[in-house]
Amino acid sequence: MAEQSLSGLTDQQAKEFHEQFKVTYTAFVGLAALAHLFVIAANPWW
Amino acid sequence: MSDVAKPKNPEDDWKIWLVVNPATWLMPILFTVLAIAIAVHWVVFAVGLGWSA
Repeated sequence: MAEQSLSGLTDQQAKEFHEQFKVTYTAFVGLAALAHLFVIAANPWW
Repeated sequence: MSDVAKPKNPEDDWKIWLVVNPATWLMPILFTVLAIAIAVHWVVFAVGLGWSA
């Protein structure tokens, strides 16, 4: 059995998955920021 | 234990997937984010900052 990671993913697979994870997470943060701007425009909470 | 290399982030962030297998844990992670979002909305509405604030 070659050197295996705890998760079983190879470095290549982990890097490849992380690239997609960053894209999706950035979109999530972008949408959340947009939603907060709409709330601030319509009804600021301070 | 102290000779373990310290990670340098964000460039080493990807290594989390060498420990956490996304095939197993991606959906639990996403459902946890959903649960947190629901909890935050619940509190915001509960303290009266809802639509008609």
